[in-house]
Amino acid sequence: MVWTIAFRNLIKNGRRSIMTMLAIAIGGFAALLFGGFVTSIWFGVQTSMIQDQGNLQVYRKGFLQFGAADPEAYTIVDWRRAAETIGAIETIRDDIVVITPKLDLGGIAGNVAASSNKTFFGTGVVAADIDRMRQWDGWRIDQPGLASGLSDNRGNGVVVGVGMARMLGICGPLEIAECTDPPRLTRGTVTGEADTVAPLVEGDGDLSALRSGGPADSLPRLNLLAATTTGLPNIARVVVETAQSQAQRAVDNAFVMMHFDQAGELLYGDSRQATALLIQIRSPDRAEFVKAEISKTLAAAGLDLEVYHFTEVDPTFSRIFGMFSFLFAVVSIVLAIVIVFTIVNTVSMSVIERVREIGTIRALGFRKGFVTRLFLAESALIGLFGAVLALIGAIAAATLINAMGVQWTPPSNAAPLTVQLMVLQNPALTLAVVAALAAVAVVAALVPTRRAARLNIVESLHHA
Amino acid sequence: MNYATPISELEHPAPPPAAAKAETASFRSISKQYRLDAVTVDALNDVTCALPLGETTFVVGPSGSGKTTFLNILGLIDRPSAGRLVLLGEDVTDLTDSEAADFRSRHIGFIFQSFNLIPVLSLRENVELPLLRHMRSSRARRQRASHYLDAVGLADMMERRPGETSGGQRQRAAIARALVTEPDIVIADEPTANLDTGTSSEIVALLDRMKSTFNTSVVICTHNIDLIQPESALIQITDGRLVNGGPN
Ligand SMILES: Nc1ncnc2c1ncn2[C@@H]1O[C@H](COP(=O)(O)OP(=O)(O)O)[C@@H](O)[C@H]1O
Ligand SMILES: [Mg+2]
Repeated sequence: MVWTIAFRNLIKNGRRSIMTMLAIAIGGFAALLFGGFVTSIWFGVQTSMIQDQGNLQVYRKGFLQFGAADPEAYTIVDWRRAAETIGAIETIRDDIVVITPKLDLGGIAGNVAASSNKTFFGTGVVAADIDRMRQWDGWRIDQPGLASGLSDNRGNGVVVGVGMARMLGICGPLEIAECTDPPRLTRGTVTGEADTVAPLVEGDGDLSALRSGGPADSLPRLNLLAATTTGLPNIARVVVETAQSQAQRAVDNAFVMMHFDQAGELLYGDSRQATALLIQIRSPDRAEFVKAEISKTLAAAGLDLEVYHFTEVDPTFSRIFGMFSFLFAVVSIVLAIVIVFTIVNTVSMSVIERVREIGTIRALGFRKGFVTRLFLAESALIGLFGAVLALIGAIAAATLINAMGVQWTPPSNAAPLTVQLMVLQNPALTLAVVAALAAVAVVAALVPTRRAARLNIVESLHHA
Repeated sequence: MNYATPISELEHPAPPPAAAKAETASFRSISKQYRLDAVTVDALNDVTCALPLGETTFVVGPSGSGKTTFLNILGLIDRPSAGRLVLLGEDVTDLTDSEAADFRSRHIGFIFQSFNLIPVLSLRENVELPLLRHMRSSRARRQRASHYLDAVGLADMMERRPGETSGGQRQRAAIARALVTEPDIVIADEPTANLDTGTSSEIVALLDRMKSTFNTSVVICTHNIDLIQPESALIQITDGRLVNGGPN
């Protein structure tokens, strides 16, 4: 009977009920869509980063704190042994998709053909492993990453940042969009430098070939100069297979990705050492467990290594997600306040119109609580209908927007992601929004409802 | 005619002892003052009287004399400023708000001048409403409500909303609503003030008949002397004081 009365009064005040419901529905709609966007950031940005860096990373102890100043002292001395030790852990054998080493290095890259050069920050990776990692889809959001661009059969192939390619003047042959060579500059000093490093190339005395480039397959070539661990300069002659944009301009302008063996050759003359081991695991939910197991095993094996979750190494994700969560919270609170005022207004009007009815009901022997329930039921119904409307609208809008294939580039990414608003894919958040709408509706109604319940019976009965 | 299972036996297994019911209500030196800014209005002034059981009592007096105040106090929707009220043998002067509501629900029925039916409910649902506190089964409530609507002659318009019926029909439904919980006292404050003369007599006659049928006490307040039935008890109030009907 309480719900019957509540429902029929909603119908009776159709216009007002619909306006209030719409206010709730629009608020809920906005919260659900924004929530869907934040959810897509949660899954999309993490997926990108896991495709790039793996879920877990193993470093020499202290590397994250001090490694940048003295990389030599903080490399993993025998990465194969570390990888084998981790690969042999029974409890996580099925979790691990990829364990792969990477080696960071820096130096100077020179394009002899254009007599230009520039510092670079490079990383050596196992191309096949990286390409496998880029296919990771632990949350099934179907967002495959870009291939590394390194070919397995060209040991001296490298991939550079687009900014790097531009500055070195190798855009022409790469045929990459947004990559154009600079206007010709005077480059006396550059030529001189190229002359000084050229004779150092081991086993390659053919200076004319080096200068002219002149590769059979027309891909641009670079000389990479790095200092070996013993402090001697070392040079590698590499082929630029392609250029790929990097998320940050500073990185893009200096980025060189090469084969792991090539990097090892440049730095150490062998490939036993690595800066880090990247570990990709099948299910992100298992990351903490896998991390703990690896940590335990490394310690037991007496290895001077530490394992981190990728968010600990690179705070980008936490920052992006934190920012959008904060925005979501602010928007939700503002919406909730608007909804509260709307509900308070609607219920107050409803109470005022029905003062005599309230007096009658009380005279008939109902306690205050019954009056409260009567009006709360009305508000709860408005909240519920509004929430359902919001949900239907949000699902429809999300489906539409997702189908439109709108692109956006999160701060962590070089390549844009397709906006996928995940409304239903985050049932916890969606339920929370719907529940919050109903709860806000009921809580907001408490104030005018209490007033209704406390009305003096005699005075209410005489109310016009 | 008696309804199959009286509510009093169903839901309240211990009815008040018969001896205590010798009088329905007993006002003992009851006064009621209303404070309007600086002025204090004596709506009732030291009223002492007893209402007889199972009878129709008329409360009469000029406008503003305190009739409504008298009925409100009797119906436990208003409190006396002084004095004590004993209903059905129980001193109900100091009941809490919830206790008073419970007491009304069990023992008191109200009929109002403007009928006060819930507009969004059908006549039958209006009559069912007070049964919410007594019967869990909606089917039982429905049956009982239909029975009472039948008794007041509304068998064929139970599903109508109040707005679709005449004033007389609404007041009949309100009478059914007041009686459906088998109250000991039915209170009607000017029940015919919004009705034409013919309908007014019908309603008063119906109330009187229902009193006998359902074995209850009816207290009617009216300023229309013509409605008063000769054999009824009479309480006459002027300026908040009892003129007759006091302890006798
Ligand atoms: N809520 C109230 N506040 C102030 N004065 C009131 C109130 N109710 C009644 N009165 C006053 O008390 C007196 C008795 O009123 P009432 O019982 O309604 O008389 P009746 O029903 O006989 O017309 C009147 O003078 C009236 O103005
Ligand atoms: Mg009156």
